[in-house]
Amino acid sequence: MKKTSLVLALIFATVVVFAQNLPAAQARKTTTSATVAFDATTPKDNLPKAENKTVIGSIDFTTGDVAFEASVKNFNFTNPKMQEHFNGTNWMNSDQFPKFTYTGKIDNVKKIKIQKDGVYKAKVIGTMTIKGVSKPCEANGTITVAGGKISVVANLKIKLEDYGISGQQPIEAGKVAKEPMITVSAQF
Amino acid sequence: MGNNTAQIQKASWLHVFFAAGMAIAFFLPWVVWKDSLVNGYYMPSGKFFHIAESKFNLGNLYPQIEFTFYAFWLIPVLAIVTALLGWQKKKTIWPAFITGALTLSLVTVFSLFTKTLIGLGVGNNAFQMLKLPAYLSALFAAGLILTALPAGKWFLRLAFLIAGPLFAFSGFMIINKKVWSETHTPTDKEKTDYTVTAADLILEFAANDTAANTKYREKILVVTGNVAQVETQADSTINIKFVDTSKHFINLSLDKQEYANAKEIKPGDQLSVKGSCSGSTYSMILDSTPIEFKRSTINKTKQQ
Repeated sequence: MKKTSLVLALIFATVVVFAQNLPAAQARKTTTSATVAFDATTPKDNLPKAENKTVIGSIDFTTGDVAFEASVKNFNFTNPKMQEHFNGTNWMNSDQFPKFTYTGKIDNVKKIKIQKDGVYKAKVIGTMTIKGVSKPCEANGTITVAGGKISVVANLKIKLEDYGISGQQPIEAGKVAKEPMITVSAQF
Repeated sequence: MGNNTAQIQKASWLHVFFAAGMAIAFFLPWVVWKDSLVNGYYMPSGKFFHIAESKFNLGNLYPQIEFTFYAFWLIPVLAIVTALLGWQKKKTIWPAFITGALTLSLVTVFSLFTKTLIGLGVGNNAFQMLKLPAYLSALFAAGLILTALPAGKWFLRLAFLIAGPLFAFSGFMIINKKVWSETHTPTDKEKTDYTVTAADLILEFAANDTAANTKYREKILVVTGNVAQVETQADSTINIKFVDTSKHFINLSLDKQEYANAKEIKPGDQLSVKGSCSGSTYSMILDSTPIEFKRSTINKTKQQ
């Protein structure tokens, strides 16, 4: 009787563990080829936008932890001068602050089943760090699971003045958006 | 008759005053960029673009025409010549016109360049950044043209008043338009700064990250190695990775138009890639350091 109870308890425990928690190695996904698109265009100027395609990202589908790191210098603008300005001391100052980082948590991670094909809405509550300044930042995204591949697309807006970027003439003249749109896309 | 002579006398003294004022103002600060005072003579002496480049990363886009800036040394020289000629009541029309036009064009360049720096976040108001000697120089220059001896030739005076600023403004606008409509030269057509093997590059970064970043950042490199990983993204762009046993790895993002050439590449292939190096930054997520490249193109491929 004791043995039977023990076996049943073990089976129950195993089922519970596998039903709610994936093995750590399977649950945490990383990539080195996520894309972050930065779009500060306005009706007056379509130049301030760029993409970085070597962004490092990780999502833990058990805990909901999300993290992204983008090298500021690897943002590619179509216009070389715009890229130079973006990295300059008065804008992103990439020599001193070489990375943008985002860390957060998916608030509905339990509803996302990465073993099953499907499309899931996700809300991430986190913190964006730019130029050494960290600010709360929410992102809304979609997680698509298809054929074992997980695709993530998320959008968020940041306020440049939150990160000490304000008063510059192009911002005041409406040539650079005060709240650029950031789009993150990644495949795991 | 006596009245007329007195008027001419007065005009010539005023003319000498403008010329002498011009010669002095040229050596005084015309503008302040943050904490840097920039004098009028900094343009022909080369300090103007030296400050702009070293402090604000905005150098002369056309260094090949830098020799033409020496022409601005004519401002003090001809201003002194004009003052001396005016003192002796001799004809000053040509030295005065040239000094005036050059000065007005230089003030225009200072104003427009300051406006460009404001675009980079250096200050907010060009009018406030320009100092009194710049405004006085413009005033003296206009005065010099209008009071040049002998009197008359008013259309010519007007033409010289307009010519300097118009020439400077048009030149500046043409350069400005060219700069903002420019795109990156395709990487395969860019001059290669360094040719390295992936293993050597990783070793160099692993040995001294700071020195390697200083050496390679924003340089065009040809990197050859055995592909460790190929990642194709949803928009058909491909990332190629070179790794070794250290905690550094190379991550190159290929241009989208490389998809047709790159889609067959697989781990183990020997590959030569040309790209713009963005340097390295430590990743807390991976506990390793990627050396990242943008705008990369395939240089040569040899499948294993």
